[in-house]
Amino acid sequence: MSGEATGAMLSTPVYAPEVSILASGRRLLVVQDAGVEEAARLHGQLSADGQAVELIALRGEAPWAGGQRGCGSTDLLEVRLLTLLSSAPVGTRLYVCGDETFAWRIYRLARNSGLLAEEIELVKAGSQRELYCVHCATMQTIGRETETTCCHCGVQLLVREHFSRRLGAYMGVCINPDQPYAENKA
Amino acid sequence: MNGLLDVRVAAVRQLTPLVREFTLEAEHGALPGFSAGSHVVVHMPAPGRTLRNAYSLLGDPAEAQRYRIAVRLQEDSRGGSRFMHEQVNEGDRLQLSPPANLFGLHSEARHHLLIAGGIGITPFLAQIAELERRGASFALHYACRGGLTDAYRGELAGRLGARFAAYDASAGERLDLAALLRSQPLATHVYVCGPQRLIDGVRSVAASLGWPQGRVHWEAFAAAAPGEPFVAELAASGRRLEVPADLSLLEALEQADVAVPSLCRGGVCGQCATRYSSGAVEHRDSFLAEAERAWQLMPCVSRGCAGSTLVLDL
Repeated sequence: MSGEATGAMLSTPVYAPEVSILASGRRLLVVQDAGVEEAARLHGQLSADGQAVELIALRGEAPWAGGQRGCGSTDLLEVRLLTLLSSAPVGTRLYVCGDETFAWRIYRLARNSGLLAEEIELVKAGSQRELYCVHCATMQTIGRETETTCCHCGVQLLVREHFSRRLGAYMGVCINPDQPYAENKA
Repeated sequence: MNGLLDVRVAAVRQLTPLVREFTLEAEHGALPGFSAGSHVVVHMPAPGRTLRNAYSLLGDPAEAQRYRIAVRLQEDSRGGSRFMHEQVNEGDRLQLSPPANLFGLHSEARHHLLIAGGIGITPFLAQIAELERRGASFALHYACRGGLTDAYRGELAGRLGARFAAYDASAGERLDLAALLRSQPLATHVYVCGPQRLIDGVRSVAASLGWPQGRVHWEAFAAAAPGEPFVAELAASGRRLEVPADLSLLEALEQADVAVPSLCRGGVCGQCATRYSSGAVEHRDSFLAEAERAWQLMPCVSRGCAGSTLVLDL
Protein backbone atom coordinates (compact mmCIF):
# COMPACT_ATOMS: atom_id res chain seq x y z
CA MET A 1 0.00 0.00 0.00
CA SER A 2 1.44 3.29 -0.94
CA GLY A 3 0.16 6.39 0.74
CA GLU A 4 -0.23 9.40 -1.48
CA ALA A 5 1.23 12.52 0.00
CA THR A 6 -1.65 14.67 1.19
CA GLY A 7 -1.81 18.32 0.20
CA ALA A 8 -1.53 21.26 2.59
CA MET A 9 -4.74 22.16 4.41
CA LEU A 10 -6.02 25.25 6.16
CA SER A 11 -4.95 23.78 9.47
CA THR A 12 -1.40 23.00 8.31
CA PRO A 13 0.97 25.34 10.10
CA VAL A 14 2.86 27.73 7.89
CA TYR A 15 6.12 29.05 9.28
CA ALA A 16 6.92 32.50 7.97
CA PRO A 17 10.49 32.87 6.73
CA GLU A 18 10.85 36.09 8.75
CA VAL A 19 9.39 36.91 12.16
CA SER A 20 7.61 40.22 12.59
CA ILE A 21 9.05 42.42 15.29
CA LEU A 22 7.17 45.14 17.12
CA ALA A 23 8.91 48.33 18.05
CA SER A 24 7.64 48.18 21.63
CA GLY A 25 6.87 45.48 24.14
CA ARG A 26 8.82 42.78 25.94
CA ARG A 27 10.53 40.07 23.89
CA LEU A 28 10.81 36.52 25.14
CA LEU A 29 12.82 33.97 23.19
CA VAL A 30 12.57 30.24 23.90
CA VAL A 31 14.94 27.97 21.98
CA GLN A 32 15.21 24.21 21.96
CA ASP A 33 18.87 24.14 21.06
CA ALA A 34 21.00 27.26 21.45
CA GLY A 35 23.59 25.64 19.18
CA VAL A 36 21.54 25.69 16.00
CA GLU A 37 21.96 28.36 13.40
CA GLU A 38 18.24 29.32 13.37
CA ALA A 39 18.38 30.24 17.07
CA ALA A 40 21.40 32.50 16.59
CA ARG A 41 19.82 34.17 13.59
CA LEU A 42 16.50 34.74 15.39
CA HIS A 43 18.26 36.23 18.39
CA GLY A 44 20.19 38.49 16.06
CA GLN A 45 16.99 39.75 14.44
CA LEU A 46 15.32 40.35 17.78
CA SER A 47 18.20 42.28 19.29
CA ALA A 48 19.17 44.21 16.15
CA ASP A 49 17.47 47.40 17.37
CA GLY A 50 19.21 47.24 20.74
CA GLN A 51 16.19 46.12 22.73
CA ALA A 52 16.53 43.48 25.42
CA VAL A 53 15.64 39.88 24.62
CA GLU A 54 14.95 37.48 27.48
CA LEU A 55 16.28 34.07 26.50
CA ILE A 56 15.44 30.60 27.79
CA ALA A 57 17.18 27.62 26.17
CA LEU A 58 16.54 23.93 26.64
CA ARG A 59 19.98 22.74 25.64
CA GLY A 60 23.18 23.93 24.01
CA GLU A 61 25.21 27.01 24.62
CA ALA A 62 24.57 30.49 23.25
CA PRO A 63 27.85 32.30 22.50
CA TRP A 64 25.65 35.02 20.98
CA ALA A 65 24.00 35.61 24.35
CA GLY A 66 26.88 35.79 26.78
CA GLY A 67 27.44 32.03 26.73
CA GLN A 68 24.10 31.29 28.35
CA ARG A 69 23.55 27.53 28.68
CA GLY A 70 20.46 25.39 28.30
CA CYS A 71 18.57 24.57 31.48
CA GLY A 72 18.61 20.87 30.62
CA SER A 73 15.06 19.79 31.24
CA THR A 74 11.75 20.67 29.65
CA ASP A 75 10.07 20.83 33.06
CA LEU A 76 12.55 23.40 34.27
CA LEU A 77 12.25 25.37 31.04
CA GLU A 78 8.49 25.47 31.40
CA VAL A 79 8.67 26.65 35.00
CA ARG A 80 11.02 29.47 33.92
CA LEU A 81 8.76 30.47 31.08
CA LEU A 82 5.65 30.44 33.30
CA THR A 83 7.44 32.65 35.80
CA LEU A 84 8.31 35.17 33.09
CA LEU A 85 4.79 35.11 31.63
CA SER A 86 3.17 35.60 35.03
CA SER A 87 4.83 39.01 35.35
CA ALA A 88 4.66 40.00 31.69
CA PRO A 89 2.37 42.81 30.56
CA VAL A 90 0.13 42.82 27.49
CA GLY A 91 2.37 43.81 24.59
CA THR A 92 4.81 40.96 25.23
CA ARG A 93 5.74 38.77 22.27
CA LEU A 94 6.95 35.20 22.52
CA TYR A 95 9.33 33.78 19.91
CA VAL A 96 9.94 30.05 19.87
CA CYS A 97 12.65 28.25 17.90
CA GLY A 98 12.74 24.47 17.69
CA ASP A 99 11.24 21.43 16.02
CA GLU A 100 7.47 21.16 15.81
CA THR A 101 7.21 18.84 18.83
CA PHE A 102 8.96 21.45 20.97
CA ALA A 103 7.48 24.58 19.41
CA TRP A 104 3.87 23.51 19.73
CA ARG A 105 4.35 22.31 23.29
CA ILE A 106 5.61 25.77 24.22
CA TYR A 107 2.82 27.31 22.14
CA ARG A 108 0.14 25.47 24.12
CA LEU A 109 1.73 26.44 27.42
CA ALA A 110 1.80 30.09 26.36
CA ARG A 111 -1.78 30.04 25.11
CA ASN A 112 -2.86 28.56 28.44
CA SER A 113 -1.02 31.41 30.16
CA GLY A 114 -3.11 33.96 28.28
CA LEU A 115 -1.10 34.80 25.16
CA LEU A 116 -3.11 35.03 21.96
CA ALA A 117 -2.03 33.17 18.83
CA GLU A 118 -1.01 36.48 17.24
CA GLU A 119 1.37 37.16 20.13
CA ILE A 120 3.41 34.01 19.48
CA GLU A 121 5.79 33.41 16.58
CA LEU A 122 7.25 30.02 15.81
CA VAL A 123 10.46 29.42 13.90
CA LYS A 124 10.91 25.82 12.81
CA ALA A 125 14.31 24.20 13.28
CA GLY A 126 14.47 20.43 12.93
CA SER A 127 12.04 17.90 11.52
CA GLN A 128 10.68 16.09 14.57
CA ARG A 129 6.90 16.36 14.97
CA GLU A 130 3.99 14.76 16.82
CA LEU A 131 1.49 12.36 15.27
CA TYR A 132 -1.89 11.59 16.83
CA CYS A 133 -3.48 8.25 15.98
CA VAL A 134 -7.17 9.04 15.47
CA HIS A 135 -8.05 5.40 16.11
CA CYS A 136 -6.50 4.82 19.55
CA ALA A 137 -5.72 8.44 20.60
CA THR A 138 -2.02 7.73 21.07
CA MET A 139 0.59 10.39 20.44
CA GLN A 140 3.95 9.45 18.97
CA THR A 141 6.93 11.38 17.70
CA ILE A 142 7.81 11.08 14.02
CA GLY A 143 10.01 12.79 11.46
CA ARG A 144 9.31 13.74 7.85
CA GLU A 145 7.70 10.39 6.89
CA THR A 146 4.21 10.50 5.35
CA GLU A 147 3.22 7.03 6.57
CA THR A 148 4.04 5.00 9.62
CA THR A 149 2.68 2.41 12.03
CA CYS A 150 0.93 3.42 15.25
CA CYS A 151 3.19 2.52 18.15
CA HIS A 152 0.19 1.51 20.25
CA CYS A 153 -2.54 -0.08 18.11
CA GLY A 154 -0.31 -1.13 15.24
CA VAL A 155 -2.57 0.27 12.51
CA GLN A 156 -0.73 1.52 9.45
CA LEU A 157 -1.21 5.27 9.38
CA LEU A 158 -1.19 7.92 6.70
CA VAL A 159 0.22 11.16 8.11
CA ARG A 160 -2.30 13.79 7.12
CA GLU A 161 -1.35 17.44 6.89
CA HIS A 162 -4.35 18.20 9.09
CA PHE A 163 -2.89 19.70 12.26
CA SER A 164 -4.44 20.21 15.68
CA ARG A 165 -3.15 23.25 17.53
CA ARG A 166 -4.79 22.01 20.71
CA LEU A 167 -2.86 18.74 20.57
CA GLY A 168 0.14 20.15 18.74
CA ALA A 169 0.00 17.14 16.43
CA TYR A 170 -0.71 15.98 12.89
CA MET A 171 -3.52 13.48 12.42
CA GLY A 172 -2.69 9.86 11.55
CA VAL A 173 -5.48 7.89 9.85
CA CYS A 174 -5.70 4.28 8.76
CA ILE A 175 -4.04 4.05 5.35
CA ASN A 176 -5.85 0.94 4.19
CA PRO A 177 -9.57 0.61 4.87
CA ASP A 178 -9.33 -3.11 4.15
CA GLN A 179 -6.97 -3.51 7.04
CA PRO A 180 -8.10 -1.34 9.93
CA TYR A 181 -6.00 -3.31 12.44
CA ALA A 182 -2.42 -4.28 13.03
CA GLU A 183 -0.93 -6.68 10.50
CA ASN A 184 0.13 -9.36 12.92
CA LYS A 185 -3.36 -9.66 14.41
CA ALA A 186 -4.96 -11.62 11.57
CA MET B 1 -46.07 42.41 15.17
CA ASN B 2 -42.85 42.35 13.14
CA GLY B 3 -41.03 40.78 16.08
CA LEU B 4 -41.05 43.91 18.21
CA LEU B 5 -41.55 43.82 21.97
CA ASP B 6 -44.32 45.96 23.43
CA VAL B 7 -43.19 47.56 26.67
CA ARG B 8 -44.55 49.98 29.21
CA VAL B 9 -42.42 52.61 30.93
CA ALA B 10 -42.55 51.52 34.58
CA ALA B 11 -40.26 54.21 35.98
CA VAL B 12 -38.31 57.27 34.90
CA ARG B 13 -35.39 58.67 36.88
CA GLN B 14 -33.47 61.84 36.06
CA LEU B 15 -29.90 60.88 37.00
CA THR B 16 -28.16 64.08 35.94
CA PRO B 17 -29.45 67.08 33.99
CA LEU B 18 -28.39 65.21 30.83
CA VAL B 19 -29.09 61.57 31.66
CA ARG B 20 -32.46 59.92 32.18
CA GLU B 21 -33.02 56.31 33.12
CA PHE B 22 -36.06 54.34 31.98
CA THR B 23 -37.31 51.07 33.42
CA LEU B 24 -39.32 49.07 30.90
CA GLU B 25 -41.67 46.16 31.54
CA ALA B 26 -43.45 43.81 29.15
CA GLU B 27 -46.99 44.77 28.21
CA HIS B 28 -47.87 41.09 28.07
CA GLY B 29 -45.89 37.95 28.81
CA ALA B 30 -42.22 38.08 29.74
CA LEU B 31 -39.30 39.93 28.19
CA PRO B 32 -36.62 37.75 26.57
CA GLY B 33 -33.42 37.18 28.52
CA PHE B 34 -30.26 39.00 27.47
CA SER B 35 -26.52 38.70 27.91
CA ALA B 36 -24.30 41.41 29.38
CA GLY B 37 -23.40 44.01 26.75
CA SER B 38 -26.68 43.68 24.80
CA HIS B 39 -28.60 46.57 23.36
CA VAL B 40 -32.14 47.12 22.13
CA VAL B 41 -33.40 49.50 19.48
CA VAL B 42 -36.17 51.70 20.87
CA HIS B 43 -38.85 52.67 18.35
CA MET B 44 -40.21 56.10 19.27
CA PRO B 45 -43.51 57.24 17.82
CA ALA B 46 -42.56 60.85 17.10
CA PRO B 47 -45.04 62.90 15.12
CA GLY B 48 -44.61 62.22 11.42
CA ARG B 49 -41.97 59.56 11.78
CA THR B 50 -40.72 56.70 13.89
CA LEU B 51 -37.34 57.36 15.47
CA ARG B 52 -35.09 54.42 16.24
CA ASN B 53 -32.14 54.58 18.60
CA ALA B 54 -30.01 51.79 20.06
CA TYR B 55 -29.50 51.75 23.84
CA SER B 56 -27.54 49.30 25.99
CA LEU B 57 -29.41 47.29 28.58
CA LEU B 58 -27.85 48.27 31.88
CA GLY B 59 -29.69 46.01 34.28
CA ASP B 60 -28.40 42.75 35.71
CA PRO B 61 -28.86 40.06 33.01
CA ALA B 62 -30.00 37.70 35.78
CA GLU B 63 -33.04 39.90 36.33
CA ALA B 64 -34.52 40.15 32.86
CA GLN B 65 -38.15 40.77 33.89
CA ARG B 66 -37.49 44.47 33.43
CA TYR B 67 -35.08 46.24 31.13
CA ARG B 68 -33.31 49.44 32.10
CA ILE B 69 -31.78 51.91 29.67
CA ALA B 70 -30.23 55.33 30.20
CA VAL B 71 -30.45 58.09 27.62
CA ARG B 72 -28.13 61.07 27.37
CA LEU B 73 -29.67 64.16 25.87
CA GLN B 74 -27.58 64.98 22.80
CA GLU B 75 -27.11 68.65 22.10
CA ASP B 76 -27.23 67.95 18.39
CA SER B 77 -30.03 65.43 18.82
CA ARG B 78 -31.65 64.29 15.61
CA GLY B 79 -34.78 63.80 17.65
CA GLY B 80 -34.36 60.48 19.44
CA SER B 81 -32.76 61.48 22.72
CA ARG B 82 -34.84 64.67 22.88
CA PHE B 83 -37.98 62.62 22.40
CA MET B 84 -36.97 60.23 25.19
CA HIS B 85 -36.22 63.16 27.50
CA GLU B 86 -39.22 65.34 26.72
CA GLN B 87 -42.02 63.07 25.56
CA VAL B 88 -41.69 59.77 27.40
CA ASN B 89 -43.28 59.43 30.83
CA GLU B 90 -44.23 56.70 33.23
CA GLY B 91 -47.04 54.56 31.87
CA ASP B 92 -46.21 55.32 28.22
CA ARG B 93 -45.87 52.53 25.71
CA LEU B 94 -42.87 51.93 23.47
CA GLN B 95 -41.70 49.22 21.12
CA LEU B 96 -38.29 47.59 21.20
CA SER B 97 -36.37 45.27 18.96
CA PRO B 98 -35.33 42.13 20.88
CA PRO B 99 -31.90 42.38 22.57
CA ALA B 100 -28.81 41.75 20.45
CA ASN B 101 -25.24 41.65 21.73
CA LEU B 102 -22.28 43.09 19.83
CA PHE B 103 -20.24 43.84 22.94
CA GLY B 104 -19.99 40.59 24.89
CA LEU B 105 -17.34 39.64 27.41
CA HIS B 106 -14.49 37.57 25.98
CA SER B 107 -14.44 34.02 27.30
CA GLU B 108 -10.65 33.73 27.36
CA ALA B 109 -10.00 36.94 29.30
CA ARG B 110 -8.70 36.53 32.83
CA HIS B 111 -8.82 40.24 33.56
CA HIS B 112 -11.39 42.60 32.08
CA LEU B 113 -10.36 46.23 31.76
CA LEU B 114 -13.49 48.33 31.22
CA ILE B 115 -13.18 51.93 30.00
CA ALA B 116 -16.30 54.08 29.84
CA GLY B 117 -16.73 57.62 28.60
CA GLY B 118 -19.89 59.42 29.73
CA ILE B 119 -23.06 57.59 28.75
CA GLY B 120 -20.81 54.75 27.54
CA ILE B 121 -21.05 53.51 31.12
CA THR B 122 -24.34 51.73 30.37
CA PRO B 123 -23.19 48.37 28.89
CA PHE B 124 -20.65 48.06 31.69
CA LEU B 125 -23.34 48.19 34.35
CA ALA B 126 -24.70 44.91 32.99
CA GLN B 127 -21.19 43.54 32.54
CA ILE B 128 -20.02 44.23 36.09
CA ALA B 129 -23.12 42.47 37.41
CA GLU B 130 -22.13 39.46 35.31
CA LEU B 131 -18.43 39.68 36.25
CA GLU B 132 -19.24 39.95 39.96
CA ARG B 133 -21.44 36.89 39.75
CA ARG B 134 -18.62 34.95 38.05
CA GLY B 135 -16.09 36.18 40.57
CA ALA B 136 -14.04 37.44 37.62
CA SER B 137 -11.19 39.94 37.84
CA PHE B 138 -12.01 43.37 36.43
CA ALA B 139 -11.50 47.12 36.79
CA LEU B 140 -13.75 49.94 35.60
CA HIS B 141 -12.37 53.33 34.54
CA TYR B 142 -14.97 56.03 34.01
CA ALA B 143 -14.17 59.28 32.19
CA CYS B 144 -17.00 61.71 32.81
CA ARG B 145 -18.06 65.27 33.51
CA GLY B 146 -19.11 65.79 37.11
CA GLY B 147 -22.81 66.57 37.56
CA LEU B 148 -23.53 66.16 33.84
CA THR B 149 -22.40 62.85 32.39
CA ASP B 150 -21.37 60.98 35.53
CA ALA B 151 -24.48 58.84 35.98
CA TYR B 152 -24.12 56.00 38.53
CA ARG B 153 -20.71 57.29 39.66
CA GLY B 154 -21.47 57.37 43.40
CA GLU B 155 -23.19 54.02 43.32
CA LEU B 156 -20.28 52.44 41.42
CA ALA B 157 -17.67 53.91 43.75
CA GLY B 158 -19.42 52.39 46.76
CA ARG B 159 -20.03 49.05 45.12
CA LEU B 160 -16.66 48.47 43.45
CA GLY B 161 -14.19 50.19 45.77
CA ALA B 162 -10.64 49.90 44.47
CA ARG B 163 -11.85 48.30 41.23
CA PHE B 164 -13.36 51.64 40.20
CA ALA B 165 -11.77 54.92 39.18
CA ALA B 166 -13.53 58.02 37.89
CA TYR B 167 -11.90 60.88 36.00
CA ASP B 168 -13.91 64.06 36.19
CA ALA B 169 -12.95 66.29 33.27
CA SER B 170 -14.61 69.33 34.85
CA ALA B 171 -12.26 68.92 37.83
CA GLY B 172 -9.31 68.66 35.47
CA GLU B 173 -8.84 64.92 36.00
CA ARG B 174 -7.57 62.94 33.04
CA LEU B 175 -7.51 59.26 32.25
CA ASP B 176 -3.94 58.48 31.18
CA LEU B 177 -4.51 55.72 28.66
CA ALA B 178 -0.84 55.00 28.05
CA ALA B 179 -0.11 54.51 31.74
CA LEU B 180 -3.18 52.31 32.15
CA LEU B 181 -2.57 50.11 29.12
CA ARG B 182 1.18 49.77 29.65
CA SER B 183 0.90 47.71 32.82
CA GLN B 184 -1.88 45.19 32.28
CA PRO B 185 -1.17 41.50 32.94
CA LEU B 186 -1.25 38.99 30.09
CA ALA B 187 -4.72 37.61 29.32
CA THR B 188 -6.26 41.05 29.85
CA HIS B 189 -8.91 42.19 27.41
CA VAL B 190 -9.88 45.84 27.20
CA TYR B 191 -13.41 47.05 26.43
CA VAL B 192 -14.21 50.64 25.61
CA CYS B 193 -17.54 52.37 25.14
CA GLY B 194 -18.04 56.09 24.80
CA PRO B 195 -17.37 58.94 22.41
CA GLN B 196 -15.47 58.17 19.22
CA ARG B 197 -12.48 60.18 20.48
CA LEU B 198 -12.10 57.86 23.49
CA ILE B 199 -12.52 54.73 21.37
CA ASP B 200 -9.94 55.97 18.86
CA GLY B 201 -7.61 56.87 21.73
CA VAL B 202 -7.79 53.44 23.34
CA ARG B 203 -7.34 51.66 20.02
CA SER B 204 -4.34 53.68 18.96
CA VAL B 205 -2.59 53.64 22.35
CA ALA B 206 -3.21 49.89 22.65
CA ALA B 207 -1.82 49.28 19.17
CA SER B 208 1.28 51.34 19.90
CA LEU B 209 1.92 49.29 23.06
CA GLY B 210 1.67 46.00 21.17
CA TRP B 211 -1.87 44.98 22.09
CA PRO B 212 -3.20 42.80 19.28
CA GLN B 213 -6.63 43.73 17.94
CA GLY B 214 -8.11 40.56 19.42
CA ARG B 215 -7.72 42.02 22.92
CA VAL B 216 -9.44 45.33 22.17
CA HIS B 217 -13.24 45.48 22.09
CA TRP B 218 -15.23 48.62 21.47
CA GLU B 219 -18.75 49.85 20.97
CA ALA B 220 -19.49 53.24 19.48
CA PHE B 221 -22.33 55.17 20.96
CA ALA B 222 -22.84 57.55 18.13
CA ALA B 223 -25.90 57.93 16.01
CA ALA B 224 -25.41 58.52 12.31
CA ALA B 225 -23.97 61.93 11.67
CA PRO B 226 -25.96 64.14 9.34
CA GLY B 227 -24.71 64.85 5.83
CA GLU B 228 -25.85 66.28 2.53
CA PRO B 229 -29.31 65.45 1.22
CA PHE B 230 -29.26 62.97 -1.66
CA VAL B 231 -31.52 60.78 -3.77
CA ALA B 232 -31.72 56.99 -3.54
CA GLU B 233 -33.45 54.86 -6.14
CA LEU B 234 -34.75 51.33 -5.54
CA ALA B 235 -33.77 49.18 -8.53
CA ALA B 236 -36.65 46.71 -8.20
CA SER B 237 -39.48 49.25 -8.20
CA GLY B 238 -37.83 52.35 -9.61
CA ARG B 239 -39.02 54.28 -6.54
CA ARG B 240 -37.03 57.37 -5.70
CA LEU B 241 -36.44 58.45 -2.11
CA GLU B 242 -35.29 61.91 -1.12
CA VAL B 243 -33.01 61.46 1.89
CA PRO B 244 -32.82 64.70 3.87
CA ALA B 245 -29.65 65.86 5.60
CA ASP B 246 -30.72 64.87 9.11
CA LEU B 247 -31.91 61.35 8.25
CA SER B 248 -29.75 58.30 7.64
CA LEU B 249 -30.38 56.23 4.54
CA LEU B 250 -31.56 53.38 6.78
CA GLU B 251 -34.08 55.66 8.46
CA ALA B 252 -35.30 56.93 5.11
CA LEU B 253 -35.78 53.36 3.90
CA GLU B 254 -37.64 52.46 7.07
CA GLN B 255 -39.92 55.44 6.68
CA ALA B 256 -40.69 54.28 3.16
CA ASP B 257 -41.56 50.83 4.59
CA VAL B 258 -38.58 49.18 2.92
CA ALA B 259 -37.39 46.51 5.35
CA VAL B 260 -33.63 46.32 5.80
CA PRO B 261 -32.40 44.15 8.69
CA SER B 262 -30.29 46.13 11.15
CA LEU B 263 -28.70 45.65 14.55
CA CYS B 264 -26.19 48.23 15.75
CA ARG B 265 -27.26 51.24 13.67
CA GLY B 266 -23.73 52.53 14.11
CA GLY B 267 -21.73 51.09 11.23
CA VAL B 268 -20.01 48.25 13.06
CA CYS B 269 -22.04 45.04 12.90
CA GLY B 270 -22.56 44.55 9.17
CA GLN B 271 -26.18 43.50 9.49
CA CYS B 272 -27.64 46.20 7.21
CA ALA B 273 -25.06 45.89 4.41
CA THR B 274 -26.91 46.55 1.16
CA ARG B 275 -25.86 46.15 -2.46
CA TYR B 276 -25.87 49.08 -4.81
CA SER B 277 -25.28 49.20 -8.52
CA SER B 278 -24.36 52.81 -9.16
CA GLY B 279 -23.94 56.20 -7.55
CA ALA B 280 -21.23 57.88 -5.49
CA VAL B 281 -21.12 56.72 -1.86
CA GLU B 282 -19.69 58.33 1.23
CA HIS B 283 -18.73 55.25 3.25
CA ARG B 284 -18.68 55.87 6.99
CA ASP B 285 -18.81 52.35 8.41
CA SER B 286 -16.06 50.43 10.20
CA PHE B 287 -17.11 47.06 8.87
CA LEU B 288 -16.82 46.66 5.10
CA ALA B 289 -13.50 45.91 3.45
CA GLU B 290 -12.34 48.34 0.80
CA ALA B 291 -13.12 45.84 -1.99
CA GLU B 292 -16.65 45.25 -0.66
CA ARG B 293 -17.35 48.96 -0.71
CA ALA B 294 -17.38 48.90 -4.49
CA TRP B 295 -20.77 47.16 -4.43
CA GLN B 296 -22.05 47.32 -0.82
CA LEU B 297 -22.77 50.06 1.66
CA MET B 298 -24.09 50.22 5.20
CA PRO B 299 -27.15 52.51 5.12
CA CYS B 300 -27.17 53.01 8.91
CA VAL B 301 -24.25 55.43 8.63
CA SER B 302 -23.18 55.73 4.99
CA ARG B 303 -24.81 58.06 2.51
CA GLY B 304 -25.03 58.81 -1.15
CA CYS B 305 -23.37 61.98 -2.37
CA ALA B 306 -25.30 65.10 -3.24
CA GLY B 307 -25.83 65.45 -6.97
CA SER B 308 -25.55 61.73 -7.69
CA THR B 309 -28.36 59.17 -7.56
CA LEU B 310 -27.62 56.09 -5.48
CA VAL B 311 -29.22 53.00 -7.04
CA LEU B 312 -29.85 50.28 -4.46
CA ASP B 313 -30.50 46.59 -5.16
CA LEU B 314 -33.76 46.73 -3.24
